[in-house]
Amino acid sequence: MKTTTLLFTLIVMLVFFGCASRRERQILYSSSYNFEIQPAGVGQDGTKAVKVWGYGRTPEDAVKAAKRNAVAASIFHGIPAGPGVGRTPAIVTEHNADVKYADYFDEFFKTGGRYLSFIALSTDGPPSGQDRLRIERNYYKVGVNVQIMHDNLRRELENAGIARRLDHGF
Amino acid sequence: MKRILPFLILTFILVSIAFGQTARRPTIMVVPSEQYCISRGYSTTFVNEGVEQTIPDYRRAMQSDPDLRLVITKMGGIMADRGFPLKDLEQELRNLERQSAELEMLASTETGSGIAESPIDRLKRVAQADIILDLDFTINTRGPQRWITFNLRGLDAYTATMVAGAAGSGQPSTSAPPDLLLEEAVLSYMDEFNGRLMTHFEDMFRIGRQVTIRVQVWDSAFFDLYEMFYYDGYDMELIDIIEYWIEDNTVEGRYSLADGSNNFLRFDQVRIPLFTVDPRGRERAMDTRRFVSGLASYLRQNFNIDSHIHQRGLGEAWLIIGER
Repeated sequence: MKTTTLLFTLIVMLVFFGCASRRERQILYSSSYNFEIQPAGVGQDGTKAVKVWGYGRTPEDAVKAAKRNAVAASIFHGIPAGPGVGRTPAIVTEHNADVKYADYFDEFFKTGGRYLSFIALSTDGPPSGQDRLRIERNYYKVGVNVQIMHDNLRRELENAGIARRLDHGF
Repeated sequence: MKRILPFLILTFILVSIAFGQTARRPTIMVVPSEQYCISRGYSTTFVNEGVEQTIPDYRRAMQSDPDLRLVITKMGGIMADRGFPLKDLEQELRNLERQSAELEMLASTETGSGIAESPIDRLKRVAQADIILDLDFTINTRGPQRWITFNLRGLDAYTATMVAGAAGSGQPSTSAPPDLLLEEAVLSYMDEFNGRLMTHFEDMFRIGRQVTIRVQVWDSAFFDLYEMFYYDGYDMELIDIIEYWIEDNTVEGRYSLADGSNNFLRFDQVRIPLFTVDPRGRERAMDTRRFVSGLASYLRQNFNIDSHIHQRGLGEAWLIIGER
């Protein structure tokens, strides 16, 4: 009886901790702070060429998340420097702007929302090879190359009063 | 209704003040660095008191360097798009030449009198900007590969501080022509540069504009800065009286008395407010001349000391005390 109870407790604990770590991983994947982005060259005038990663239950979902991440990273996080490419600072520098303007950004980033109008070009369609990683049984991480209409995005946020213009106050 | 009316008037006044006033906009000009000009032969050499000196010849650089013109045009386009059109060096040099010629020729119709111009006025007729974008770039080659090394520094003309900067090297290419590589370099580094410039402006709005103030004494003055004056129940040296005024009138008392003697004082990193209320009660944008005129009035009213203000652009002013 004692052995059965001990075994049962062990199984319960394993299941419990297993679920917790999976939940933690899923929180990490869907975190709004988890931007994996790198420059893919110097973009044409007013645009940024980047490679961005997204997570999803299917590769298609992950591609959608990647596009959303590209725009969100440009707004809140900035794009780090790469070989031959300088750093691009975040468009919105105000602390906690995502919380302060939550209504605007909820509408902006909703499925099929206006954020898509700032993606000029992407290697759409689920990628293959190293850009498509199956990280769990039903979870994918994919990387896509995206061209962001960076100047248009900045202007949109300046006009909405969320980003400060360089000549603000003068 | 009677209660609401004063509230509405007050709100209107506050809104007018908040939205009606803007700070003095600094002028920005791209200037090729001395290193760029001298290394490419755009320079003039002369002997000054036995010492050979080489100075950049900006006019020749602008006239004969297509790469430089391309980079400045590209940068100008980006800055104009961000609401900060650049002052053009080439045009400014041309204007100054024309201005000099016109000043020589102008005469009054009644008496034939010419324009009054002191030696200091003539000295001031040079290309000026509040922020100088000191530009330097090199087209490097290794075998068939070419790449650009780009260096851009934003310098405050008065405090000699670097307020923004961006530098780096582009990706080597065997096929792209130099003009395309230069365009890429500008596109690659301007966002980073503007991000730093933005931080500088945000700092300025938060803790005031950083300026330099000098106090000098006329040779003819009957006192110097160590002279004792009686004020507020104490005998104090003039140097201390001036320092207390600066401390009381700067944003958060931020300034640094960099150097001084019985004849001069140099205040660096003086943070002046962006706005002030003039004697007629109107809110005005502040610059260093206006700030220093406050010190001049204070010395005149309390100690009967006359002074003269010598302005050096938006960010530096000298107060010369002893006479007007």
